[in-house]
Amino acid sequence: MKFLLPLIFLGALSDAALEDPKQEQRAQEIMREIRCVSCENEPISNSNSEIAADMRHQVRLQVQNGASNKDVRDWFAEKYGDVVIFRPSTTGFGILIWLFPFMLLAGAGYGVWKMVIAKKSEQGTTLTPLPEDQVE
Amino acid sequence: MIELGHLAAFFALAATLVAAVSGGMGKVAAAGRAMQVGMIACLISFVLLVNAFLTSDFSVLLVAKHSHSLKPAFYKFAGAWGNHEGSMLLWCLIMLGFGAIASLVMKNDRLKAYALGVQGGLSFMSLSYLLFASSPFTRVASAPLDGNGLNPLLQDPALAFHPPFLYLGYVGFSFVFSVAAAGLLINEVGSDWAKRVRPWALFSWSALTIGIALGGIWAYYELGWSGWWFWDPVENASLMPWLVGAALVHSIIVTQKRGSMASWTVFLAVLAFCLSILGAFLVRSGVLTSVHAFALDPERGLLLLFGLCVAALFAFVLFAWRGPNLPSGSAFDPISREGALIVNNLFFSVAAATVLVGTLYPLGIELVTGETDSVGEPYFNRTLAPLMALLFLLVPVATTMTWRKADVAPVFRSLVVAGVFAIAAAAVTFIAVAGKLWAVLGAAIGVWVIIGTLTDLYRRVRPGGFERLSKLSLGVWGLMIAHIGLGFFVIGASVETNGRLERTFVMSPGSEVEMAGWTFQYQSLENIDGPNFESQVGTIIAENGARRHVLKPSKRFYPVAGTPTTEVAIRKSLRGDLYVALGEPIPSVHPQAFKVRVSMNPIIDFVFGGVGLIALGGFFAFADRVKGRVSELLSARKAAKDKPDDTDTALPAAEGVS
Repeated sequence: MKFLLPLIFLGALSDAALEDPKQEQRAQEIMREIRCVSCENEPISNSNSEIAADMRHQVRLQVQNGASNKDVRDWFAEKYGDVVIFRPSTTGFGILIWLFPFMLLAGAGYGVWKMVIAKKSEQGTTLTPLPEDQVE
Repeated sequence: MIELGHLAAFFALAATLVAAVSGGMGKVAAAGRAMQVGMIACLISFVLLVNAFLTSDFSVLLVAKHSHSLKPAFYKFAGAWGNHEGSMLLWCLIMLGFGAIASLVMKNDRLKAYALGVQGGLSFMSLSYLLFASSPFTRVASAPLDGNGLNPLLQDPALAFHPPFLYLGYVGFSFVFSVAAAGLLINEVGSDWAKRVRPWALFSWSALTIGIALGGIWAYYELGWSGWWFWDPVENASLMPWLVGAALVHSIIVTQKRGSMASWTVFLAVLAFCLSILGAFLVRSGVLTSVHAFALDPERGLLLLFGLCVAALFAFVLFAWRGPNLPSGSAFDPISREGALIVNNLFFSVAAATVLVGTLYPLGIELVTGETDSVGEPYFNRTLAPLMALLFLLVPVATTMTWRKADVAPVFRSLVVAGVFAIAAAAVTFIAVAGKLWAVLGAAIGVWVIIGTLTDLYRRVRPGGFERLSKLSLGVWGLMIAHIGLGFFVIGASVETNGRLERTFVMSPGSEVEMAGWTFQYQSLENIDGPNFESQVGTIIAENGARRHVLKPSKRFYPVAGTPTTEVAIRKSLRGDLYVALGEPIPSVHPQAFKVRVSMNPIIDFVFGGVGLIALGGFFAFADRVKGRVSELLSARKAAKDKPDDTDTALPAAEGVS
């Protein structure tokens, strides 16, 4: 908290980009993943609120000091809770939502494959390609 | 006057009841006439509401709340649906409109009777909701001198047309739902059913595509964030029915041409509309926080949820009853056009489920554990991008495959050219966008889809040359156009998202900043007033060598609503957009100092142009079926003329078909 206080006065000017373009790009990536605490579902990269400007400044400061993307996210999650990170947590229930699409694809894909094979063998005949002009 | 509109809406309500009952009894002519009468009554009520907006009749509560005398006439007009109540009236009008048009163009039989009956029931529910829970016809005791004004963000051409197109999609799916339910009721879900429901699905899905694209274009130039999709719950709410609709317009082909996948197709036909109502519920109830949620009201939300449950329960009970006994169609090898279209449906469905789960997860986790978590861009990009990449790789493979069973070797041989182009595209993108994985993959996949589709077109016309080209059906053209559009979209979306450069500067008059070879000089700021807003227009000169552009971004302030909006300045070129937006003023630096957001968005027009082509392709396929139906009607008329005594066989007697 002791270094956050002066930031509030800096807020208006704090959007100055970092000098190293690689660091700046990384900072912008992180900003798209952090939710502004005072707005409805907006990342700090888009919000015009002052707190978002302070949060952006904090991201740049940490990136400049060599923090990795994950370090920065963890810092914000610790300070404001998981809700400020648009990436669902990978611990506890969170892991389920990450696995869900791929498990569903595998499960449904297996089921569909079984059905198609079953139907094919049910009819028993050898299948041949059907010319385009015979379909309609 | 608005009382007349109120009365007309009650009249429409009665008409929908008649349509529902007579349709349910199989009386096709009565149901059709009731639909037409209901549509006209609803149209009268809508016109009167629009009139109240145009004439700024502030004794009408809705007009007083959402309009203002100084607003330009066009936005007074569009303001009629820029609010919850007015948009629900538009919803009802479109729903009855689909019923009325169906009553005129569909073949008279039991399927039509029941479809009109179900549509009557859905319209009855919608009109009841309008009249008893969100009436736009309320008067105020003493009219205020002026209105509260429209949300200034909505005073924009793209957003004026965004809701009507979106509703043509959402509500269009209601008729798809009705035909699906009718097919289940009379146990006639098969090839012929698919042929008849297909144009409605194609039209609705294409209109929804345009509606979503308009929203994206609006977000791009009005919000000033230089992006066009933010994975906001409101956007996701429109994406779910779109994805299911995309699966539907593909599976319906298999059901129509080969009789297979009938139960799956009918399931999707039901699901698309259920997800449309779910979207309305999510957007309007306030259960999810969103930047653009409007007219939040938990009580209305509950009613929408109730409506969703009634419709879904009705359809899924029918489905559970009939679904298992639907015809399974002809058998096919897994490696075939049918197989490829099943894989298409698998991926679209998993994508829709992922969007659904990701959107509802924060709500669910809070209910279950009391903790809060957010799901946004990082999640959706990381899960959907690989899924969609795999799906899009399949596109030219699928269209080249033969039905029933396909030989893989000739398919891949014909796609060698596309493969070479894809690798070249990957190499070019790797150099141009500094090796970002998803930009490279996206460019390669997009080029693969485009060249592969063109190769397929060549394969189809090669035996007959140009003569054969002119004989291709509109449906095949639709396929080609939509898939080429998809290719452009994929290239644009991946390269733009990964190659976008953006910076925010604090600039005061005279200051100069640099970005990627361009210098931007802030010259001056002028005050220019519009009809109902004050604006500050900046002049910023962008220079790069011999290229010099004058950009005029502005900041508007609407005194009535008390809110500012951003008007972005965009300079288009073949490479992409130069994009300059004024942020908030920084008076502590200089009275005319602003935060200025500058971005370069490469090939952004591929994104919007690509989506436009996808919709156009859908409309082409729709037109194919319209053409077919028109010639059916013409030959029926001709046959009737030839045999004057026997009109009843050509156009079956209307009453009591069952």
